[in-house]
Amino acid sequence: MAKNGRFMVGLVGVAAVVTYLIWTGVSDTMVYYLTPTELEAKITADPTFKEVGVKVSGRVVPGSHEEAPGELLHRFVIHDVDSPDVTMTIEYRNVLPDTFSDSESMTVDAVVEGRFREDGVFEAKTVLTKCGSRYEATPEELAAG
Amino acid sequence: MALLGALILVAAVVGFILQPVLQGHWASLRHQDDEMTEAEARRRVTLLALRDAEYDFATGKLDVDDYTALKRQLSAEALAVLQELEASEGSDLVEAEIAAARKELEEEVRCDTCRHHNPTGSRFCGACGAALVPQETAGAP
Amino acid sequence: MNILGELALWVALPVTAWGMALGYLGGRQERGDLVLSAERTVYATFILILLASLGIVDNFLNDRFEYWYTANYSSRNLFVFYKVAGLWAGQRGSLLFWLLLLSFFSALAVWSNQRKNREFMPYVVGTLMGLQLFFIVVLLFAEVNPYEKLGFTPVDGAGLNPQLQNYWMSFHPPTLYLGFTAFTVPFAFAMAALMNGRLDSRWIEVTRKWILLSWFFLSVGIVLGMRWAYEELGWGGYWFWDPVENASLLPWLTATAFLHSIQIQENRGMLKVWNMALVLGTFVLTVFATFLTRSGLIESVHTFAENTTIAYIFLTFMASIVAWGAVMVIYRLPKLQSENQIQSFLSRESAFLFNNLILVAATFAVAWGTLLPLISEGFFGEQITVGPPFFNRINVPFGIALLALMGIGPVIAWRRASARNLKKNFLWPLGVGLGVTAVLWLTGVRHGLALTTFGLSAFVLYIIVVEFWKGTKARARIEGEGFAAAFYHLVSRNRRRWGGYIVHVGVVLIFAAFAAEPYYVEVQQTMQPGEVTELESPLGGTYRLTYESTSSNVRDPDQNLAWQAVALVMVERNGKTIGPMRTEKRGYIRPEGQQSTEVGIHSRPLEDLYITLADVDLEGIILENDPNAQAATFSFMIKPLVGWIWAGLFVLMAGSLIGLWPSAEKVRAPTVASKATVADPAPAGD
Repeated sequence: MAKNGRFMVGLVGVAAVVTYLIWTGVSDTMVYYLTPTELEAKITADPTFKEVGVKVSGRVVPGSHEEAPGELLHRFVIHDVDSPDVTMTIEYRNVLPDTFSDSESMTVDAVVEGRFREDGVFEAKTVLTKCGSRYEATPEELAAG
Repeated sequence: MALLGALILVAAVVGFILQPVLQGHWASLRHQDDEMTEAEARRRVTLLALRDAEYDFATGKLDVDDYTALKRQLSAEALAVLQELEASEGSDLVEAEIAAARKELEEEVRCDTCRHHNPTGSRFCGACGAALVPQETAGAP
Repeated sequence: MNILGELALWVALPVTAWGMALGYLGGRQERGDLVLSAERTVYATFILILLASLGIVDNFLNDRFEYWYTANYSSRNLFVFYKVAGLWAGQRGSLLFWLLLLSFFSALAVWSNQRKNREFMPYVVGTLMGLQLFFIVVLLFAEVNPYEKLGFTPVDGAGLNPQLQNYWMSFHPPTLYLGFTAFTVPFAFAMAALMNGRLDSRWIEVTRKWILLSWFFLSVGIVLGMRWAYEELGWGGYWFWDPVENASLLPWLTATAFLHSIQIQENRGMLKVWNMALVLGTFVLTVFATFLTRSGLIESVHTFAENTTIAYIFLTFMASIVAWGAVMVIYRLPKLQSENQIQSFLSRESAFLFNNLILVAATFAVAWGTLLPLISEGFFGEQITVGPPFFNRINVPFGIALLALMGIGPVIAWRRASARNLKKNFLWPLGVGLGVTAVLWLTGVRHGLALTTFGLSAFVLYIIVVEFWKGTKARARIEGEGFAAAFYHLVSRNRRRWGGYIVHVGVVLIFAAFAAEPYYVEVQQTMQPGEVTELESPLGGTYRLTYESTSSNVRDPDQNLAWQAVALVMVERNGKTIGPMRTEKRGYIRPEGQQSTEVGIHSRPLEDLYITLADVDLEGIILENDPNAQAATFSFMIKPLVGWIWAGLFVLMAGSLIGLWPSAEKVRAPTVASKATVADPAPAGD
């Protein structure tokens, strides 16, 4: 049994190390995943929150996409899916995903990760698009198409 | 046409499934004779472990002392399993087999120079280092 | 065909219910006729589900858009190949496809066990049919029926997501699904063992090949997914720690642990409860991965949100399996006692044990990171996410430890390794590993993790090569064979061991490829035709890239293309012309307005040159055909060692196939075979 006991100690040790790794890993790398409304509320409650990196999901406002000619600089606006009045301007210096679009005929949701700049523009490090709804057309859309 | 196909499909499926129950066809639920029992499986594993140890020795991964210690332990286990088999089956054939296995397991090579007992497969004596006369008959590591 | 297919799905419902009931009942009452009837339901279900699946394919091929599923995932001009692949393009079809594979493997398992393992079969059949029943009920009643009709007929379908219109995508999901479903058979045998009480290693022995088969398909499926991401997403990466990727990695991690820990149970009679937990856990994770992929439960680039009620159905299902398994294990605890104890920390058993601990820890870490948004939402009402930094931070040390164990395992002694044994076996490999590290350091590789990984890779490869060499030499000497014959016999006599080493070589190649990531080079450049960009490779050599021009094509209905803008780049390496490479942006006719980027890849043994057309004036080029609109922005990347991932996969496949190849040496019939009249004391059901 002594051997087994030693192994149990080893096991508990490994479990503790893993828990510690996961714990510190999460607290060092976590980002809040918010809607624009939630983000606004958080910043109102605690202005320093503006500095924190966050992930925000919102809907791309049709026609809002501008790009600087000759350089990879994109600017677009997203609004809260539930309350369209809440908007954020996003700036992104990289290649946008293929599924990104600001066309009227499509509903594109974007998930942006980054932080606010001094001038109130949200500087995104990554932009992901979700267009799941696009491929699950409602019967009406299909009938029209 | 589709209806006919459907009817045929359903009838075929139902007939195929119910046939054993209706006609009393029984599938075997017993362990078959040519399958290994628990004890046989353990014997096989032990003999494989022995073979592995011999292989490790032959390729120089185990030195003589480690090999001797390990082999003694494994042989004891193998014999215990064999005896268990013997007790459960008690056939002449099995006994003969066990005797052969036991002989193989217990056989050692004696050094001509210093009379030290060396494990089977040794090429040099563990005590005095003299070359041993190869006695291998069968059994690759 | 489609009417028959829909009917077949309905017929399968009572058939599977009958099969499950009779399997368990027949097992308990030892009624061979009931069991035979139950076994026949397995074959019948396979035929029925095959008909149901063919009906869906038929719907796709004949553009029957009155069906919701066809209308949403196909269109008239979709390439025929992708119409067939439509079976697994969406959630509804995927579920049916999963069921098809499960019913196929179930039939195979029953067919191959007609004359053996009879004491397990009633419960195996009962379990397999119970699982199939669940999937059929979900398909028919949880609003995911692929035969559901719209009530009207659209003129055309919505079209298949262009990201899925890639040939890798046609192979990647089916391969993963093969891996997921093949694991059901070991799970069913484990459950059967718990129910009939035969808890020695028999259930493991008979399902060993199934476990390996499942692992093989999982590995291939995961790497094919990486290949898809590499070619299709256009970011030059192959793994993003995306929830769906993670979901397929989880069962792979536990299956890998299981593949190793069963050897401990077979050799030493230990870890019986642990193995039960692993088989249960792996199975549940395969189910989890299946439904997560297209459930919309966790947002991901792969998920295409559909109906979320199904998520709760699946979660309940998984929870019940875990609960049922746990109850059975506790009930059988007296029979699951270890026969031996680990004798020393320094032993092969202990190396296997550490391998298991690391893999399970990695599973927990990945699962935690993946589910964190859900967990934090549930507990704090706020979603917290973690991304690649988290996963890399946790898993890189785990990966390095596993790499080290791949070297230690083969040469450390079973039971107890003496100091002499360690010195004898590790001196040279350590020397080689350190030597390689030193040489790499001197040639300018200074990244710590990369150096560690390359050094350890050399350590492992040296050990494996020496193992093969020594084994062959010893055999050649003892048996008096030539080296080729000795090598062949060495491997064929213990294919699991040597096949396993070959798999390890493949894994080492893949790990080394991962470690080269810090040396990736990326340059973004906006160019006019005739302009040149030079790119320095970290491995030496210079690429000279000349932008030639961008040409446009308009409308190719055969290819479902609305337009194409193709950029040509002339590539020279060290002054030698490699040729033109193309990268393009294209728009699809269906789904309307969708565009995608096609990358250009030039592969060399040590690096890939990867170019994408990041940005171009599409309006000017396509609509106005303006010769002054040729300016284009490219992303040029050099990816050292990335090809080793695919090469490693081939090595890994070869090793697995050696282990999977049907055994030539039959299990020797025991000497008591003549006494066939004596009934065996086999444990009957209780």
